Amino acid sequence: MIVSSTAAVGALALGLLSGCGSSGGSSAPSGDPNAEFTFWSFTGIGAKDSVAEYLAKNPNAQVKLSEVGSTTETATALTAALAGGDVPDLVMIQGDDLPKFVENPSNFVDLRTLGGNDLASKYLDWAVGAATGTDGSIIGVPTDVGGLGLAYRADLFEAAGLPTDPAEVAKMWSTWDGFIAMGEEYTAATGKPFVDNIETTVFFSTVNQVTEKYYSPDGKLVYDTNPQVKDAFDVAVKTYEAGISANIAAWSSGWDPGKANGTFAVTVAPSWILSGIKNAAPDTAGDWRITTVPGVGGNWGGSVIAIPARAAHPEAAWEYIKTMTSADAQTEHFKRTGTLPAAKDSLTSDAVLSYTDDFFGDSPIGQVLSDSVLQFNSFYNGPDTSAIGAGLLNALADMQAGNVAPAEAWQTGLKNVKDALG
Amino acid sequence: MSATTTPVATHRDGKPRKQPTQVRSSFLERVAPYAYVAPFFIIFGIFGLFPLVFTFFVALFDWNPIGAHTFVGLANFERLLQDSRFWNAMGNTFGIFVISTIPQLLLALGLAALLNHARLRWANFFRMSMLLPYITSVAATALIFGQIFDRNFGLINWILGLLNVDPINFLASRLGSWVEISAMVMWRWFGYNTLLYLAGLQAIPREIYEAASVDGANGWQQFTRLTIPSLRPVIIFTVVMSTIGGLQIFTEPLLVSPESGLTCGAGRQCQTLALFLYEQGFGQFDFGYGSAIGVALFVIVVVAALINFFLTTRTRGAR
Repeated sequence: MIVSSTAAVGALALGLLSGCGSSGGSSAPSGDPNAEFTFWSFTGIGAKDSVAEYLAKNPNAQVKLSEVGSTTETATALTAALAGGDVPDLVMIQGDDLPKFVENPSNFVDLRTLGGNDLASKYLDWAVGAATGTDGSIIGVPTDVGGLGLAYRADLFEAAGLPTDPAEVAKMWSTWDGFIAMGEEYTAATGKPFVDNIETTVFFSTVNQVTEKYYSPDGKLVYDTNPQVKDAFDVAVKTYEAGISANIAAWSSGWDPGKANGTFAVTVAPSWILSGIKNAAPDTAGDWRITTVPGVGGNWGGSVIAIPARAAHPEAAWEYIKTMTSADAQTEHFKRTGTLPAAKDSLTSDAVLSYTDDFFGDSPIGQVLSDSVLQFNSFYNGPDTSAIGAGLLNALADMQAGNVAPAEAWQTGLKNVKDALG
Repeated sequence: MSATTTPVATHRDGKPRKQPTQVRSSFLERVAPYAYVAPFFIIFGIFGLFPLVFTFFVALFDWNPIGAHTFVGLANFERLLQDSRFWNAMGNTFGIFVISTIPQLLLALGLAALLNHARLRWANFFRMSMLLPYITSVAATALIFGQIFDRNFGLINWILGLLNVDPINFLASRLGSWVEISAMVMWRWFGYNTLLYLAGLQAIPREIYEAASVDGANGWQQFTRLTIPSLRPVIIFTVVMSTIGGLQIFTEPLLVSPESGLTCGAGRQCQTLALFLYEQGFGQFDFGYGSAIGVALFVIVVVAALINFFLTTRTRGAR
C-alpha cells in the first residue's frame, strides 16, 4: 500500500509538473490585427499614454496593458515567461537588459519578417544595433533613447561667479578638463561640492563617448586593454581627486534631498530623469538649466519594443509597433510625455528641437538632447556589457566611500569584472 | 493507529475474513492515515523536495534560463571555491550573524527577567508590545533604519553633528554596514526571543527561588545558578533558530542599500550568501552558478545544524 500510494503521489507530482511545462505552449498565430493582445511595459515610460494614443488611431484595437514594475522587474518577468510560461504578445525592454535577450534572438520574432529589410533605416543606427542579434535578426524596434545632458543650478553658479547661460556653460566645459577646472573654481568659491558623484555623472558619460567600449566590433572582450575605457575611468578618478564630488550615489537616500538643498550644483540629466528632478526639488523651479555634456554627446538608457516568438497574436502586436514607432507617432508621444524619440526624422522635427520647459529656465532641452544622441558613437555591446560596467562603476563608488585608494581603483575595477565574468 | 491494528489482530487469530465489506472498510481504514498526511507530502514534494533535488541537478550546468543548458560537471563548484566574492559573502554572513545574535539573546534574557518580575505592573502590555517589531514588515523596518543610519540626513548623524562629530557613512564601511543590518535583525527578533525566555522563566517553580534565598543566595547567584540552568533547553532552541535564520539573512541587506542593487554596497561589504545567490541566479540569470551557491549554503546549514545537535545532546548528557 505504501508503495502504491507513493507512486500515486509521484504520478500526481509529475502530472502537475508536466502541466506547468506545457502550459506555455503557443496557440496558432492569429492573423487578426485587431485581436486582443497583451502588452507588458515598465512604469515611468508613459505606456498608458501610448496605449491611449494607439486606441485613438485604431479604435477597433484591443490592448491588455500590464505595467509590470521597474525596468529590471519587467526584464526578470519576461525571462521567467520565456523560460516556460505565458509570454506577452508585446513587451518593452530597457537598453541595459537588452544584451541578455539579444544573445538568444530565437526567443523573439525577427521583426524584419514583419517590417521588411529597411526597418532599421528609420532609427538611430546604434539604437537598432543594440537590438540586432549576431545572425542579423532585429528583435526590437527602438521606442526611445536616453539623450544625455547635464543639469546645473544657475542660481548657485551665479553665486560662485560662474556663467549661467547654457551656451556659455557648454563652451566652458566643452572638455572634461574644463569641467574639472570649473568644479575647482566653484568649490573654491563656495566651499561646497560641485557634482553629485563621479560614477554616474562622470563615468557613465565618459565611458559612452568612446568609439569602442568593452567589446571589439567582432565581439571580443577588450575592456581591460582598450585605452578609451581606461581614459574614461581616469577622468572619473581625476574628478574625485579634485575634491569636487559630493560622493552621493544616484538613487541613494541623499540624492533627491541634495538636489533640493543645493548640496551639489551639477547632476547627470538623461531625458528620462528630467521629471525626476522636478519631483525631487519642486522648490527649485526656474533655477535649473540643461546643457550639453563635456566631450561628444552621450546616451543613457532607452528601450525597444519586441514580440516574443511564442506570442499568440503577433499580427495585432505588430500593428501596434508599426503605428506607434513611426516618426510622427514618436514625436506626438514626446510632446505628451517628454520621452525622447529614436526615429531620426522625429529627432530633427521642430517639435523636438524647439522643446523647452520653464522649470529648467527655458533651456534648449530638445536641441541639447537631440544633438547628444545624433552625435553619439555606435559601438558593439555584448552580453556582459552591463556586468562589466557595474564592476568598474562599483570600484569608483568604493573609492568614493574611502575603501579603495584612487591609485588602486582601476585594478579593483578589473578584479570586480574578472570575478563577475568567472 | 487503532484503525490499523484491527485487521492485524484478525490475522493473528488465524480467522479468515468472512465478509468482503469488512475487508474493504479495513483496507480504507489502513489507507486513511496516509491519505490524511498525503496533502502535506504532496505539496512538500512539489514545492520543497523537487526544487531541492533539481537545484543539485542545475548546479552541474551552465544554465541560461532562456538559452542553452550546457553540462559542465563540477566546474561551477570549482569556480565557487576560487571566487573571492563567495568567501566575502561567507564572512559577511557569519559576521552579521555574530553581531546580531549574541547581543540580541543577552538583551532578550535580561528583558525576560525584568518582565517576569513579580511587582511589574501592566506586565501583559509590555509583554505584548515586545512582539510589535516582529509583526512589522521587514521592508518598513529597512526604510526606517535606512533613514536613521543615513549619512546625509540621518538621525544618528544629526545627533553626532550636534556633538561636533563628523558624519559616519555607515553603509560605506564593512563594520558600519554590518552594525546597521544587525540592528535591524535585532530589532525584528529580540521580542520573539524575549517571549520564549519569558515562557521558560514562568515554568520555573517559585519555591526553588524561595529555598535559595533561605539558603542565602543573592539575586545574581540565583540568576546564574538557578535561572540559566533551568532555561537551558529554551536557550538552545533560540540559538538553533537564530543560527538557521542568521545564515539566511537576505531581506535586510537587499533593502538597506537600494542604490547599489544586489551587492549591498559597491565593495560588497554587506552582501550575504543568500543575497549573493540571488544576485547570480536572478540578477545575472546564471542559474547554474546560483544553484551551486544554493548547494553550498545547504551544506553550511547542515554543518551548523550538526554542530547544534552535538551541543544539544552534550547538554542533555550533562544533566
